[in-house]
Amino acid sequence: MASLLQPDRVLYLVHGEKKIRSSLSTLYFCRYCSELRSLECVSHEVDSHYCPSCLENMPSAEAKLKKNRCANCFDCPCCMHTLSTRATNIPAPLPDDPSKTAMKKAYYLACGFCRWTSRDVGMADKSVASGGWQEPDNPHTQRINKLIEYYQQLAQREKLERDRKKLARRRPYMPLAFSQHTIHVVEKYGLGTRLQRQRPGAPITSLAGLSLKEGEDQKEINIEPAQALDEVEPLPEDYYTRPINLPEVTSLRQRLLQPDFQPAGASQLHPKHKHLLIKRSLRCRKCEHNLMLYYFSVRIMSIPNLRFQKECQVLLTLTNPVESITHVTLVGCEEGDPEDINSTAKVMVPTKELVLAGKDAAADYDELAEPQDFQDDPDVVAFRKSNKIGFFIKVVPQREEDGDVTVSFKIRHDFRNLAAPIRPSEEDDAPTEAIWLTHHVELSLGPLVA
Amino acid sequence: CSKRRSSGRIHANIAAGAVVCVESEIRGDVTIGPRTVVHPKARIIAEAGPIIIGEGNLIEEQALIINSYPENIMPDTEGVEPKTMTIGINNVFEVGCVSQALKIGDNNVIESKADLGKNVILTSGCIVGACCQVNTCEVIPENTVIYGSNCMRRVQTERPQPQTLQLDFLMKILPNYHHMKKTVKGTSTPVRN
Repeated sequence: MASLLQPDRVLYLVHGEKKIRSSLSTLYFCRYCSELRSLECVSHEVDSHYCPSCLENMPSAEAKLKKNRCANCFDCPCCMHTLSTRATNIPAPLPDDPSKTAMKKAYYLACGFCRWTSRDVGMADKSVASGGWQEPDNPHTQRINKLIEYYQQLAQREKLERDRKKLARRRPYMPLAFSQHTIHVVEKYGLGTRLQRQRPGAPITSLAGLSLKEGEDQKEINIEPAQALDEVEPLPEDYYTRPINLPEVTSLRQRLLQPDFQPAGASQLHPKHKHLLIKRSLRCRKCEHNLMLYYFSVRIMSIPNLRFQKECQVLLTLTNPVESITHVTLVGCEEGDPEDINSTAKVMVPTKELVLAGKDAAADYDELAEPQDFQDDPDVVAFRKSNKIGFFIKVVPQREEDGDVTVSFKIRHDFRNLAAPIRPSEEDDAPTEAIWLTHHVELSLGPLVA
Repeated sequence: CSKRRSSGRIHANIAAGAVVCVESEIRGDVTIGPRTVVHPKARIIAEAGPIIIGEGNLIEEQALIINSYPENIMPDTEGVEPKTMTIGINNVFEVGCVSQALKIGDNNVIESKADLGKNVILTSGCIVGACCQVNTCEVIPENTVIYGSNCMRRVQTERPQPQTLQLDFLMKILPNYHHMKKTVKGTSTPVRN
């Protein structure tokens, strides 16, 4: 498994449209095709929306209504961190008796990273912990909404026109298939409902219910055209001579995160609701099934000093994640192997088959268990610990250059597909058949020493 | 506090009411004011001159306050005047920070793993964010917050609150678990089992 600090030392080759080499933590496995897949050979789909700070799941329709923003969480307008609500006690006059003061709780928003508080922009403390904070209204909202309605109506009208023309040419029994251009027009003004996922090359399926019925009266919306002004407000007189108060000037990023207002002064930066993130679901492009993470891994344990043209032993570990015994064979790459382009050293892998015990979840607690007897060759196997095995490979660096020494070989192991559908067959098949998978692995062992 | 003698004194001058753990390392001529809490493994080293720490300060674990020689001067050079490092009241030196600034005002917060150079002067109400290195030669204006990997700055409207609650709590709890260094007036705080 790739570690956090050194993710790219063990690379696996993925046979996709492009040959990609990447570490196991970024790869996925399709159980039905029995192949490794990387992020580039899968198709992404939006699964659900969630808020990254309160982890609230939102259905897509609600997310669209709220403009993909969380209702409860805010972002700091200064450093874009998540704001937290803090409480203070302030003395406030009791409603019954104005002369006495009682301690009341007042809440304000504060950022833990840059120490921005809602009091900096003049937002008053609220008496409720959540739900009291409002974003300021955009003064142009009404005009924008009206414009959007008008253009949506226009788009529908254009679409109907086009389809009427198309229909006149087509034969009567053809379904009402929408052309590419029509879809474009619909999407242009954000009218359409979620389209079905389009497969590349397949014809676009019909969108029922999107068009108005023929006889329905369309509400006429009139908009006023935008007025061009001749006179602009003049700049203040001291615009060029006034010294800049640098902490007050907002940065471009802070300004553009609030496109409604784009405040130039830091005292007008109001917090915005937090943006929602998307959870994706990944599908294998060939078989359309969902993917899982691959977990059978080789890991570099310890590397001695690598010297040019001198043979040395590298200790590798293999971990078996399944509960059954797995057999692993390592095969070195032959001369002229088309996949072997990066190796700069010759490697001698152990020729015998390595056997790994299954993962036993109760092994830690079961002290009376008998140790499994595997009869390991001490030259090959360094240690064995429940489902892990450490073994040696011999490396002879071939090229005296500045880069890392890379070594590649193929690893072949058996895999039992427990999740495949049980095919009804006439003969008595074993319920889980083992298939042999071969992967091309590249290890990056570090630079040469002297 | 007792009268200060000339530099070169070995024992630290810890005022009554300060809580200084015995596992902290205090070297050189150091004066610590009352109501200051020094955690174990904190280091206050007065190499090139005395350090005067005011009251109500909170110096957490692995913090390093050092009055060191400038880089181009060897410790044995004659004629070098010892410069005093002054630290005001109600400051917080969080875990793992390094401070070589010669003058620190009041109500500042130096967050974890921050690094202050020799030529910086902190006024009041400043917050130096976590892992920020400030080694410019300047006076940081009041109420400045330095944050982020690029050491962005902004000005806040209110100064950070003094940590009175935390100080009171620590002054009660720390003597239960650690031995304390002796203060000037009276004996060290009795260890309760």
